[in-house]
Amino acid sequence: MNHSRFNWQPVISAAVVVVVAFLVLLPLVFLVEESLNTGDPMAFPPQQFGIANYIAMFDEDINVLVNTVVIALMATAMAIVIGFSLAWILTRTNVRGRELLERLMELPYYMTPLVGALAWSVIAGPKSGFVNQLWHAWGGKGDIVDVYSYFGIAWIMALFEGTVAFVMISASMKSMDPALEESARVMGASKLRTMLTVTLPLVMPGVLGATLFVFAEMLGSFAAALVIGIPARIYVITTAIWDSTLSYPPDYGRASAMGLSLFVVMFGMLSFYRWRINKGSYATITGKAFRPRPMDMGRLAWLLVGVCLLYIAVAVVLPLGALIFTSLQKFATVILSQSAFTLDNYRTALGLGPIRLALRNSLMLGFGVATVGVILMALLVWIIYRSRIRGAGAIEYLVMFPQAVPRLVFGLALLWAWLNIPIPIYGTLWLLALAYLTVMLPLGVRTLAGVVLQIDKSLEECARVCGAGWLYQMTTVTLPLLRPGILAAWLLIFMACVRELGTSVFLMGPNAKVIAPSIVAAFASSGTELTAAMALIQTGTVVLALVILFRLTRGVTKEMT
Amino acid sequence: MTTRIEVADLVVRYGEQTAVNGVSFSVGRGEHVTLLGPSGCGKTTTLRSIAGLEQPTGGSISIDGQAMFDAGARKNVPAEQRGVSMVFQSYAVWPHMTVFDNVAYGLRVRKQSGPEIRAAVERALDLVQMRALADRPASKLSGGQQQRVALARAIAFSPTVVLFDEPLSNLDAKLRAEMRVELRELQRRLDITSVYVTHDQEEALAISDRVIVMNVGVIEQIGTPEQIYNSPRNRFVADFVGSANILKGRVMGAGTFAAEGGTVLKFTAPHAPTGQETEVAVRTAYIDLVGREGDNQLTGHVRQRMFHGDFVQYIVECACGRLIVRRPPTNLLEEGAPVMLSFSASHTVLLQS
Repeated sequence: MNHSRFNWQPVISAAVVVVVAFLVLLPLVFLVEESLNTGDPMAFPPQQFGIANYIAMFDEDINVLVNTVVIALMATAMAIVIGFSLAWILTRTNVRGRELLERLMELPYYMTPLVGALAWSVIAGPKSGFVNQLWHAWGGKGDIVDVYSYFGIAWIMALFEGTVAFVMISASMKSMDPALEESARVMGASKLRTMLTVTLPLVMPGVLGATLFVFAEMLGSFAAALVIGIPARIYVITTAIWDSTLSYPPDYGRASAMGLSLFVVMFGMLSFYRWRINKGSYATITGKAFRPRPMDMGRLAWLLVGVCLLYIAVAVVLPLGALIFTSLQKFATVILSQSAFTLDNYRTALGLGPIRLALRNSLMLGFGVATVGVILMALLVWIIYRSRIRGAGAIEYLVMFPQAVPRLVFGLALLWAWLNIPIPIYGTLWLLALAYLTVMLPLGVRTLAGVVLQIDKSLEECARVCGAGWLYQMTTVTLPLLRPGILAAWLLIFMACVRELGTSVFLMGPNAKVIAPSIVAAFASSGTELTAAMALIQTGTVVLALVILFRLTRGVTKEMT
Repeated sequence: MTTRIEVADLVVRYGEQTAVNGVSFSVGRGEHVTLLGPSGCGKTTTLRSIAGLEQPTGGSISIDGQAMFDAGARKNVPAEQRGVSMVFQSYAVWPHMTVFDNVAYGLRVRKQSGPEIRAAVERALDLVQMRALADRPASKLSGGQQQRVALARAIAFSPTVVLFDEPLSNLDAKLRAEMRVELRELQRRLDITSVYVTHDQEEALAISDRVIVMNVGVIEQIGTPEQIYNSPRNRFVADFVGSANILKGRVMGAGTFAAEGGTVLKFTAPHAPTGQETEVAVRTAYIDLVGREGDNQLTGHVRQRMFHGDFVQYIVECACGRLIVRRPPTNLLEEGAPVMLSFSASHTVLLQS
C-alpha cells in the first residue's frame, strides 16, 4: 500500500463550509443593517440606526400588507383544491393511465408564473384579451373577464402552485398503509364511512402541511404580481419592495425592512412546517412506501380523467397556445379574418442586440452555474449526509436556508452586500452567477441528497475496507453511483437559471442582462407579440432541457430495475 | 496459536447511549470466532470497530501486535490502512461495475499488475463458483449471486483477517443453509482468521471454532459451540442459545438442588455455596420420556404435543411446573399420557445468577 496517506477530508470540508456560509449568510447581515438605517438610504455603512423603516411599513403600506394576505389566501385556497382533487384522483382511484397523468401534472411547474402571467394577460386581459375579443365579436358589451384583478393574480399563482400542492398531498396519501382502510372495511364500514372516519383524518395533517407551505410560497411570489399587479395598481409586498428601489432616491431602507419582515414570516411558517413533520405527528408517515389499493370508480373514472386533463389544459395548453398564437401575428387577435401571420416577432427577438445578448447570458449562466454548482453541491451532500463530521446538521441548515428566503429579498440582500464589499463585481455576470449558485443550493442539494440516501452506506465502507483512500473511494465508487443524480441536478439547475427572475431583477446591470427580466421589460415597453415570442424562446430552452431530463430519468429507472 | 486480533476493554458510546461497554477478547491465527447476540447487543458495533468504520470511545484494538485503535494513545488507524477485509450484510456489491471489477477492486487499490489481478480474481471467483459470470454487470445478479461476489471480493486480495457482518441474513432459509456449508469449507481451505457476526444461534454454533455471546454491550460467555450449548453460564445464554427449561430453586448441598415445588435434582458443578437461591437449566433435547435410568427422574403427564417434523415438542406437566421436551418424531405420545422424565446430572446446569 503506497497510496497517499494525507487525509484530505477535513481540509475540503472546512473550505466548503466557509464558502457556503459566505454565500448564504453574509448578504442577510447587510440586509439587517440596511433595514435599520434611518439616515441617508444611500450611505454605506449607515450613519443612523432606528426602526423607523419598520414603523413606516405599517403606517404607510398597510394596504400592501392586506393585499398580500388577501391574494395569498385566495390563491392558496384554489391551489389546495386543485392539488387535493388531483392527488386523490391519481393515488386513490383506478383511473386509467395514472402514471402518465402523474408525469403530466409536473408540467405546470415548468411553465413558470412569469409565462403564465403573460399568457393570461393575452387570454383574459380587458378589451384586447382573446376572451373579450370573442365576446365583442358575438355582440357583447363591455368585458366579461379581467385578469387585472385580485382574483386574476391569485388565479395565475394558484395554477402554478397547484402542482406543488399536488405533489405534497399525494405523497402523504401514498404513504398511508392501505391496511388501515381495509380493516375499517372488514369491520363493516361502508366506502363513504371509511373515507370520512379513516382516510380523511389520516390525510388531514398532510393537507394542512401543504396549505402552510403553499401559503408561505404565495407570500413571497413575485412574477404574477409584477406582470399583472403593477399595471392594475394592485401592490403586494414583493412588488412594493421592487417599487421602492425604483423610486428616486431609491429607498433601500424601506425595501430592506419589508424584505426582512417577509423573510421572517416565511421562515417562521416553514420552520413550523418542518417542526410538525419532524415531530412525527403524522401517524401515516412511517417512511415505508405502500402501494395504496385504488378504489374502483366505474364509469365515473372518465370524468375524473377529464378533471386532470382540464387542469393541464388550463395551466399549460391554453396559455402556451395563446402565446404561440400571439407570437405568430402582427397584431394579436383571435378573429381569424383579421389576423396577419408573420415570423417577424421571432426574427426581432433573435435579431435585436440586447435581447440576443440577454438570452446568451442566461444560457451561459445556466451552463456555468449548473456545472460549478453540481460539483460544489455533490461535495456538500457528501459532507452533510456521509462524512459524520461535527456540525453536519448545521451545514445542512445553512445550505437549505435560501429556500426560506424569498428570491426577491435575497436579490436585494445581495445587491446591498455587493455594493458594500469592495470587490467590483456588481453589475457583472459574476455577481449573477454567485447569486444563482446560492439560491440554487437547496434545489441541487435536495436532488442529489435523494440519490445519495438511496446509495447504501456499506457500498462506500466496503471500498475503504478494501484499502481505498478517501479520494480513490470518491472517484471509483461514490461519484460513479451519483452520476444519474448529478445529471438530473445539472439539468434542473440549468432550467432554474434560465427562468430566474426574482434575484435577477436586482442584480442585472446594463451590461449584464438576462432573459427573464428582459421579458418583463419588453412586456412593459413593447408589444405583447414580441414579448410572447421571447417568452416562448425561453420556454423552448427549458422544454429542451426537460425532455433530456425525462429521457434520462427514465433510462435510469430502467437500469435500476 | 498466536494471537491475531486483540480487543481490550472496548467501549463505544453514541452520545448518551453505550453500544459496547467494556468488551475484551482475542482471536487466534486461523481461528473463526462468532459474535452472537440479539439485535442491539453491540456485536455489529464491535465488528465495525475492528474494521475501523466506527470510532470507539475507549479501549484498544490491535491486529498482529500492531495497535489499530488505542484510546489512551489517541490512535485510530483508518479503515483502508488496516488491511482487514469485510463482507457486509447488504453485500455492498457495486452496481455500476461488473462482477470482475468488483472482485478486482482491492487488488487494483494495491496496485497489482494486470496479469496478477486477473489470476487472483479468477481464483477467487472459482472458489465461489462464479467465474462464468465474471463479465456480468453486478446489478443483474440474484441475491445469492451477489452474496458470492461479495465473498469473492473479500478474499481476492488475500487478507489475513476477514470480518463478516451477518452475511447470510438476507438469504432465504434453504440458500442460507447451503452457504453455511460453503463458508465453513472456505474458512478451512484459505487459512484466514475470521470474526463473524450473527443473531442466528444455529448459524453461530455451526460455523465457529469459538462463540462469544453478547448482550446489552457486554460479553455473557466465551466458549466453543459445545461449551456454550452444554454449559451455559447464565440464564441469558441458556435461553438465547438453543432451547432450555429453566427451574428456580436453591442449592441444598454438594450436587443437589431443590427446585420450586419440592423436586430435588442432582447436578454436577465444581462448587456452589449451599443455600444459594439460583436456577438450573436443562436442555429440552436432553430429557428422555420413556423412564430410562437417570440421575434425575420425574413423573408427569403430557399436556400438549406439537409436531414440528424434525422433532416433536411436548409440554409436560410435573411437580416442578411445565417442562418442554423435544424428542425425535418416532413413538408419538398422546396428550394426557402419563410419562416418566429422566435426565442426567451432567445435563443439569447450575446457572450463575
